[in-house]
Amino acid sequence: MLRATVKSLLARKLRLVLTALAIVLGVGFTAGTFVLTDTALKSFDDLFGQVYANTDVVVQAHQAFNPTEGGGGGGGGGQELNPIPERLLPSVRAVPGVRFAEGSVQSFAQIVDPATGKTIQSGGAPTIGSSWSPDLSPFTLEPGGAPPVGPHEVVIDAGTAGDHHLTVGQQVRVVTPAASDEYTISGFVRFGSSNSLLGASFAIFDLPTAQRLFQREGTFDFIYVQGDGSSTPEQLAARIAGVLPHGFDAITGTSAASQQQDQVNQGLGFLRTGLLVFGFVALFVGAFIIFNTFNIVVTQRSRELALFRALGAMRRQVMTSVLVEAAVVGLVASVIGVLVGIVLAIGLKALVAAVGLKLPPTALVIAPRTVLVSLVLGTTITVAAAVSPARRASRVAPIEALRESTAPSSSIRRRVIVGTLVTVVGVGSLAVGLFGGVSNAGYLVGLGAALTFVGVAMLSPLIARPIASTLGRPFRGRIAGKLGGENANRNPRRTASTAAALMIGLGLVTFVAVFAASLKSSVTAVLDRTLRSDLMLTASQFSPFSPQLARGLSSSPDFSAVSPLRQGAEAKVGSSTTFPVGIDPATITEVASIEMDAGSITGLSEPNTVAVSRTEADGKHLAVGGTLRMQFARTGSRRLTVVGIFEPNALLNDYAVSLGTYDANVAQQLDSTVFLKYATGVDQATARANLEALVARDYPSVEVNDQAQTKATYVKQVDQFFAIVYVLLILSVLISAFGIVNTLGLSIYERIRELGLLRAVGMSRRQVKRMIRVEAVIIAVLGALLGLVVGILFGWAMQRALSSVGIDRLAIPFAQLVFMLIVAALIGLLAAIWPARRAAKLNVLEAISYE
Amino acid sequence: MSSTITKVAARTESLRKVYGEGDASVEALRGVTLEFAAAGFTAIMGPSGSGKSTLLHCLAGLDTPTEGHVFIGDVDITTLSERLLTQLRRDKIGFVFQAYNLIPTLTAGENITLPLDIAGRDVDRAWFDEVVDTTGLRDRLSHKPTELSGGQQQRVAGARALVSRPEIVFADEPTGNLDSRSSDELLTFLRGAVTDHGQTIVMVTHDARAASYADRAVFLGDGQVVDEMQAPTAERILDRLKSLEV
Ligand SMILES: Nc1ncnc2c1ncn2[C@@H]1O[C@H](COP(=O)(O)OP(=O)(O)OP(=O)(O)O)[C@@H](O)[C@H]1O
Ligand SMILES: [Mg+2]
Repeated sequence: MLRATVKSLLARKLRLVLTALAIVLGVGFTAGTFVLTDTALKSFDDLFGQVYANTDVVVQAHQAFNPTEGGGGGGGGGQELNPIPERLLPSVRAVPGVRFAEGSVQSFAQIVDPATGKTIQSGGAPTIGSSWSPDLSPFTLEPGGAPPVGPHEVVIDAGTAGDHHLTVGQQVRVVTPAASDEYTISGFVRFGSSNSLLGASFAIFDLPTAQRLFQREGTFDFIYVQGDGSSTPEQLAARIAGVLPHGFDAITGTSAASQQQDQVNQGLGFLRTGLLVFGFVALFVGAFIIFNTFNIVVTQRSRELALFRALGAMRRQVMTSVLVEAAVVGLVASVIGVLVGIVLAIGLKALVAAVGLKLPPTALVIAPRTVLVSLVLGTTITVAAAVSPARRASRVAPIEALRESTAPSSSIRRRVIVGTLVTVVGVGSLAVGLFGGVSNAGYLVGLGAALTFVGVAMLSPLIARPIASTLGRPFRGRIAGKLGGENANRNPRRTASTAAALMIGLGLVTFVAVFAASLKSSVTAVLDRTLRSDLMLTASQFSPFSPQLARGLSSSPDFSAVSPLRQGAEAKVGSSTTFPVGIDPATITEVASIEMDAGSITGLSEPNTVAVSRTEADGKHLAVGGTLRMQFARTGSRRLTVVGIFEPNALLNDYAVSLGTYDANVAQQLDSTVFLKYATGVDQATARANLEALVARDYPSVEVNDQAQTKATYVKQVDQFFAIVYVLLILSVLISAFGIVNTLGLSIYERIRELGLLRAVGMSRRQVKRMIRVEAVIIAVLGALLGLVVGILFGWAMQRALSSVGIDRLAIPFAQLVFMLIVAALIGLLAAIWPARRAAKLNVLEAISYE
Repeated sequence: MSSTITKVAARTESLRKVYGEGDASVEALRGVTLEFAAAGFTAIMGPSGSGKSTLLHCLAGLDTPTEGHVFIGDVDITTLSERLLTQLRRDKIGFVFQAYNLIPTLTAGENITLPLDIAGRDVDRAWFDEVVDTTGLRDRLSHKPTELSGGQQQRVAGARALVSRPEIVFADEPTGNLDSRSSDELLTFLRGAVTDHGQTIVMVTHDARAASYADRAVFLGDGQVVDEMQAPTAERILDRLKSLEV
């Protein structure tokens, strides 16, 4: 029996390759994700090791919690730390066993490219400003350069210098929290073996200059200590801690590195999970294709299987033979998948670098876990998908060997019952995940979505026939089209399950399209409702900018209201993370209309107060006059009095505090947005032109936008984000296209006599191709239609679930969905190319005499 | 029709067909020269492996001969391109095979008009009706092949072969899978097409009774024409076959 299995495998090499392809791609993407994130982690590990190589102990302010560094891009360098008074440095230096101790400050510093006049920022990578440490520098000066000395010199990282063709001695503008000025480049630095720290740009000044530019006069962010070797770093840290006042910690360089590593781990963890989701979707689609292929093959091999049974093979042997075939296919495909994944990781690394995250040239990390998980996952999914076909194969009765008939398939009634049940459970867990307020909602939603897809796939043969007939109608005029339509119709199960694979990919595309459209529509509507300002100042890439801009403008006669908004620092309420917004209660109501449910926003002018969104207030049972505890990384837990409850809007997240309260608790005192209102009687065009000239000169990273531009920018950002999601979903759509190729290929093999007859009675090759193409297009469009329905349903559910956070409009992007249908039809055409060519090439004589 | 009696619908000229190469090669036809008069019904007979199917396939342009020529009307089909050959099959030739003659997704009626639909030609309704009436399948036209008996299926195939008024119809053991009653129905139908409508038919058969419906029987043996008989009867054919097999 085993020998027969292996023989049948080898006899159908092509089918093997096509089936395996689905798994290869899914496993490849999964393995690639692991390799990429492992490699990134290793790179960071090495980097932090190098950065802290000379440092035994780090002194820093105590943090209430370790904020997630992160994904969110931003100006960088803004550590949520209390400043260390300069006077602590001598006492640290006096601790026995200390060789060097140096203060250091860090903040953001944007370098302006002299060639373009724009701030340099590659993708979302941070723009870091730092002080120069003569003795403990993690940087290595490149030959020909000198450390920065005095208020007019800067050192820049070699990566940025190389990318933008900067030279030593050149003048370059650097924007820092306190100033926007020209500096002379005195040298370039590298980081160990790498000339760039993950794509970040570095501007390094001498300590006094850095303190002034970063607004840290008289203070440090860190004190770096190197021991004289007489004690271990742990002992040294303990000794230094002894001389520090309350609120400051001394930690070893190693644990400082691992703290930063933890932050990176979290960020990469999100990236990994995000990418893995797409890998799993691809594998899920692959499972459909495996299921489908094995089903068709069992049908085609019915007679052969029956013969085995007639010759005395046990049911179980038949079942095993099919499962062994699946296991071999799955294993081989997974092995190839892992190899593909490694290649893919190289590609992904280049892609990530293009977005700005330049990983140092570390060798790819291929962890045993990567290989193991990929192999197990790929093989298990293949075998699991083959279980039902294998059971069907085992039910072939020996008598079938003598009959012209095929393997039995489960009864329609059972299918309807099971299909309905699975769909209901799927939709149910989706609903609980979205609306139930349970923990681990993500898993429930994922499971619910998967089950819904499976359930709909099970039910789809019921509607496949009428839909396929309708779809086939336009082609009926000509015989090739008519036959193609009939072929799509002749085995609704096969057509439906082939279409179902495409349904998943296109369903998710539809879901994303509906969700993105709803998001854009809701947010622009909210902006329309909320924004009353004439102009908004925002920084590109969400990086915050110096409050001096707003300060300067508030005295300008051109504007009647200048209202800055700060955001970006992480805080905790209970166990949940939130990003409170700092506003100016005196001016905010002039530039934004904020609907209050209770209390007032102006109440925020009292210290230690907070306004809360209605959703959050409902969830946490907060009322005006009550108090809540908010934990800041820098200052720890703070008791805040609730002075107002507002309707959710686009500006204020869940919690709004005054700029005073914000600055008292958050280290990074930079504006993220400034709202402006023209003074009455001012020539607005001139006012804007003057403003733009000022901004272009001193704040090159800041953009001036009116309301329409703000909306357009927002829409563009959403589109850019979802464009990435679409690209990742293409993988599953591609796999399902292979599914169509596979089904058509197998069907042709099955209808070989018929094709021979058609060719014998005079059907031309072109007509044969047309017939196959029509069948493919019908399958693809059927899949797209199912995907549309399920996707719109998902999109609607998601929108409902998020309506409380402001996504209160359902928008269905019809044009986009029609476009998707057209693309689906094209996918069908593409998928038909190879089967059509094969069918057209058939030798007529061999086909009609085929047994 | 008397003026066309002498016209030749198809002919072969020293046709040779060799399968395979070297030691393993089989010479299935060794120089066959034959003429098929228009409006004639020819039966081709001979022992198994004598080359009957090969001859028919070469005649119908389904297979290319190794040497020699095949003419359908005045056209030497051995020189035609694949595309022209396909068109020739579509427009000038009708087929009835032993089995699997029908497209399962099409109804009986649609199967009959298939060659016309493929060619994109209009169906001549009067002729269609006449063909259908002689098959006696008028009330079965909307049935799918699986709903027809074997004999009915073969008659549908016969009707399909006739409906495009081809110059010649080839049938390879069309009664091979039928019982004697169904065979008679099909053969009567084919005979009628020749007698009443001047159709040319070439039929390969093993069955002496089937061959007795023909105007002429050609006997093949080992890839060569070994005998011919005009207006054959079943007994004479059986006698002749016995002598061939010895
Ligand atoms: N495709 C092929 N390749 C090799 N040899 C072939 C092929 N087709 C037929 N032959 C050989 O050619 C010879 C003639 O075969 P053909 O099928 O024409 O015989 P037949 O008279 O139709 O026999 P039957 O009455 O059994 O149908 C046989 O020896 C056969 O084995
Ligand atoms: Mg034969």
